Amino acid sequence: MSVFMDLNLIYTGDRTGLRTLLETAAHLGFSTVAINYVFEPTSKKKQVKIVSSVCKHLCLYQGRSRPIRVLNRLTVVMSDSSHFRPNATEYRSFDLLAVQPTTEKLFHAACMLYDVDIICISVSEKLPFFFKRAPVNGAADRGVVFEVSYSAAIRDSTLRRYTIANAINLMESCKGRNVILSSAAEKALELRGPYDVTNLGLLFGLSDGDAKEAVCSTCRSVLLHAETRKTASGIIYTMRSCSDSAGQEGAPGDPEHGGSIIDSQTIKPSLASDD
Amino acid sequence: MSVDLDHTPRCLLVSDRSSFLHEKNRINSQVEQLNFNYKVSLLLPECGSTPSHLDSMLNNFSTFYLIRKLPIYELLDKRFLETAVYQGCVYGLSYRTRIDEDICVALMPNGHLCLSLDKDSFQVLGVEGKASRFSHRTKSRYVVSVDMTESSMVPGGRGYLRLLTGLKSRLPLKSDFLLSHHPGGGASLQALLSRYDWSEHKPEVSTHALTCLSCPTQLTSIPPNFDPHSFLEWLGAVDADISCENSSCSFLSSLACPEPKTMLSQALRVSVCGLLLPQDILRLIQEIRCYLDQPQLQSWVALTVHGFVDSPVSWGGREHGALRGGENFYTLLMGEDHTYHLHLVTGAHDTCPP
Repeated sequence: MSVFMDLNLIYTGDRTGLRTLLETAAHLGFSTVAINYVFEPTSKKKQVKIVSSVCKHLCLYQGRSRPIRVLNRLTVVMSDSSHFRPNATEYRSFDLLAVQPTTEKLFHAACMLYDVDIICISVSEKLPFFFKRAPVNGAADRGVVFEVSYSAAIRDSTLRRYTIANAINLMESCKGRNVILSSAAEKALELRGPYDVTNLGLLFGLSDGDAKEAVCSTCRSVLLHAETRKTASGIIYTMRSCSDSAGQEGAPGDPEHGGSIIDSQTIKPSLASDD
Repeated sequence: MSVDLDHTPRCLLVSDRSSFLHEKNRINSQVEQLNFNYKVSLLLPECGSTPSHLDSMLNNFSTFYLIRKLPIYELLDKRFLETAVYQGCVYGLSYRTRIDEDICVALMPNGHLCLSLDKDSFQVLGVEGKASRFSHRTKSRYVVSVDMTESSMVPGGRGYLRLLTGLKSRLPLKSDFLLSHHPGGGASLQALLSRYDWSEHKPEVSTHALTCLSCPTQLTSIPPNFDPHSFLEWLGAVDADISCENSSCSFLSSLACPEPKTMLSQALRVSVCGLLLPQDILRLIQEIRCYLDQPQLQSWVALTVHGFVDSPVSWGGREHGALRGGENFYTLLMGEDHTYHLHLVTGAHDTCPP
């Protein structure tokens, strides 16, 4: 379904605030959101815990009968190559995996080597490096997308300049392909509706069609990429065994090769996908 | 590198100018081709209350029906096809489905059933269709268009059975549906309506009197005084109750009435909303021509007809999409000597109006 998604809602530890954020996102018309747990290995906090069953009753989104779908995402802020450990077991409980490289070498490694879904473009500082075509094209070939967040631009005018400058630099190299726009909102007031975000994309140098795709179909391809990554190219498909979060998993893909399911429940495939 | 921000969102505008008395005018075919009309707005200058014959005309628009959670395979029901679709003109449109998010269904008066589906649903349905003309890089929307009057779609035919199996078992689609039938009214739809939760609705008429309205002069002059964009912007601002003063202390709107302008002491804005049929709109246009024949203070009337934003088809059954707006409407500016200016507008993802 090419529906609108916002794959970056920052988790701040405030459950009421998070609930308001989800309600606002549902009201604005987003069908899927991802709660982003940002992990900085250099800071004091070592552990990142997922808030399980964040909202018992998920709000219905704008006039639909389906509730909003909430995913979990981990962003690792990397300043050294040891910060991201491939195939670490802690990453398995997250639906989406993202990295935010801070140097050119790490950016190159993230684009070409690391098994991630999203590469975040920093908006809080002027990027110390330029985007080269080779790693950007390499990332596009692998299905990794670049993410630009806009809520920093809402908060502060200096950050607004950095956001736009970094985004335009990115668009020059990637030509508007494989980009997603998301909010990185901590409060409900920092969220904007999907058509507003499409208009914002024009400011970042995207064309009309690219800007709309950045909010819907590219986000959908990120979710499919994440599923493929988690299921080892579609061979093994795992499902959480507790019943109330089984509905949240809701993945549309059927294992490509019809492989084994590591769970005692039988899962009825809902849609066949031959992507 | 700087971003080119001079481009405003693209729209298609076709302007036509003719007279009702000219035998080759295309106004009838242009009005009839827009099958699904949502709203008709009238602007009557120097008028305090709706004239009686116009008022009765507006209140006598055909009623329409809303069926809740109609399974779409019911539109292929044999009895429904025989009593309604083959006989006359059935207008049907899925209600509260968004063109760029959900599956939209339209049943056109010529017997064509049009489904606008996303990629997953299209692959599951398993019926022949085409990718949407407005796909950008990836094909994410597909259109299935079926002619129910064709020989392969006769109940029992191969195409018919394939579509029926698809809609019944592979992709069971259910949505709220708006339905209207042209000559027969509700009688021929009773068989379908009786099986589901339905309600009959009359199009909603609302009237609003305006005072001290600034208005461009000599609207119906030939050649026209104004370019269509500024005229349509002004008319839209009047319709949406947006101030055209452009005062320096207000930052909400910088829209202004095109020059040269005059001040109207009063004007009347009437709108009708619902599933409106083109035949009713043609009769309304005839009534307005009679109204303009009488001696008037002002010599023009502006009629704007909006199509549904989420309809999968617009003029002539051609594909309709929505980039950001999905607008498709036309404005008919009628003058006193049976002349008219017609402006047909669509958004970016749409085929050119006729």
